[in-house]
Amino acid sequence: MSSHAEASEKFIADAERTDWHDETLWFVREKRDKAAMVLREWEALREHASQIKDHTLANLHQYLIAFEAKAQANGIHVHWAADAAEHNAIVHQIIAEQGSKVLVKSKSMLTEECHLNDYLAKKGIEVVDTDLGERIVQFRKEAPSHIVLPAIHLKKEDVGETFHQHLGTPKGNKDPQFLTEAARQHLRGHFLASEVAITGVNFAIAETGEFVVCTNEGNADMGAHLAKVHIACMGIEKIIPKREDLAVFLRLLARSATGQLITTYSSHFHKPREGQEMHIVLLDNGRTRQLADPKYKNSLKCIRCAACFNTCPVYRRSGGHSYHQPVAGPIGSILAPNIDKKANADLPFASTLCGSCSNVCPVKINIHEQLWFWRQDLMTAGLAPVGKTIGMKLMAFTLAHPAIYRIGGLLLRRFAPLLNSRLNPWYKQREMPVAPKESFQEWYKKR
Amino acid sequence: MSAREQILGKMEALEQVNHPGDFKGASEDFDFKAALEAVGARVLTAEALEIEFPGRRRYEKTMDGLSLAEVEVLEIDGEFGVAENGAIWLTEEAMPHRVAPFICQHLVINVSKIVPNMHAAYEELKKPSSSFGLFLAGPSKTADIEQSLVIGAHGARSLTVVIRA
Repeated sequence: MSSHAEASEKFIADAERTDWHDETLWFVREKRDKAAMVLREWEALREHASQIKDHTLANLHQYLIAFEAKAQANGIHVHWAADAAEHNAIVHQIIAEQGSKVLVKSKSMLTEECHLNDYLAKKGIEVVDTDLGERIVQFRKEAPSHIVLPAIHLKKEDVGETFHQHLGTPKGNKDPQFLTEAARQHLRGHFLASEVAITGVNFAIAETGEFVVCTNEGNADMGAHLAKVHIACMGIEKIIPKREDLAVFLRLLARSATGQLITTYSSHFHKPREGQEMHIVLLDNGRTRQLADPKYKNSLKCIRCAACFNTCPVYRRSGGHSYHQPVAGPIGSILAPNIDKKANADLPFASTLCGSCSNVCPVKINIHEQLWFWRQDLMTAGLAPVGKTIGMKLMAFTLAHPAIYRIGGLLLRRFAPLLNSRLNPWYKQREMPVAPKESFQEWYKKR
Repeated sequence: MSAREQILGKMEALEQVNHPGDFKGASEDFDFKAALEAVGARVLTAEALEIEFPGRRRYEKTMDGLSLAEVEVLEIDGEFGVAENGAIWLTEEAMPHRVAPFICQHLVINVSKIVPNMHAAYEELKKPSSSFGLFLAGPSKTADIEQSLVIGAHGARSLTVVIRA
């Protein structure tokens, strides 16, 4: 697996596509600004949402127990999974009892985190992703590159070619309307035939035991309402205390994500429909570890709107796949090291620390500060890239020894190529200024 | 030890933080019709609806989920609309089947009550009265191909709203 910097180098090799990616996501960011700024209470709403989440995380223990009791009273089966392996085994068990070999799934980053599709494939069960963007990347055997816009790294020509290969659409047809219609017809067949449907969860309400799923396409509902068995998979941090809290979150979510006033469908699943079986799987997978660490705890407030992706200058110019994680972007870069520090040690460095992510976050997570905390922890743990570690140590040593600092400065001024070389990653794609003839000290002594 | 005990066991003894209570000071000056148009819905008068969709089907308790796939235009009643975002609250009781507003080709919803914003909406919905309910705002849509907006992804291809007195 290549690091974020290495993968980004490949991404930006196509300059035209990089510009397009950058501009497209910035356009989404601007739509978010317009939708937010018409509400004079926008900042108050963010603060309120942040406080509800702080309160919920502090009382998660009691809210999870309350949610479980209410959901069970509503006739929903509740399962607990400590890690991805347990989660996948629970889901498989439910499907195996039905005897299904094909099922439909709407967008769920949590099932990506658990690599559920691969796991079920090995058991002979095919998962059909039904979100249009997810279906496109599934056909291409790729991962989603964005949590809200899974196929944002692709152009319509790419989608046209993919659909030509997999759905038999005419070669060269790249009209989004036509391609969407082809996907509608193809997936309708799956919706009508599937006995099991898996969905994600946007919010789970402790007070009522219900859960809310938001989509624009209607794919989660098409799957869940036609299937005999509905399995909803959620992280334990998706709980909110009361129904009224939804008002705050539903006002923020779509405006932050795509600049819409609200998603087309915000479905409240309270009880299974008559004759239906409904399951909820509650997953930990490192979340309790994150919760116990005051530095990183509030990363769990995230409502997965991806506003931080769209605004991030690094994400927009490096693409989601460079982050080699299901959740990319700034928020992914502070969530991933908690799950695997070593494998994700590059991600907190994939940022300029400009702070734009924290400024747009609807629940006010201090994302850029946590990126900086992670950098410190990773350096201390000896997990930072070797080059960076040596560079930092060399720098620290030099700054601590004035004589060496002076000699080093002199050498670099005389032999600028020492600095402007491949050994210096900062030199890549940058024009370095010409080195001055004399140092500040030399100049000062002459005065 | 079960996963449940493991997970819950790791979460005790966190510092206490209060719930901020209900949100105060929300805007109320929204235009429901403008919001409906913004989310891609059409607003028709009762008379215009008769001319536009003479052959539409009214909600019938006997319709089953799969047969609804054959319904071209389905008419159902919404409980209330939300002026800030054009969302309409629908409950299972007002539909032949939960899948109804998704699976029909075109959807018509009648609304007579309008509330200003989402906070007022949840004032109406403090306790769940239904096993399934949803806010529906406009027709099914996607922008997953190059951010081009396409109406009619998986759900209804169009939404027509009739505001009745």
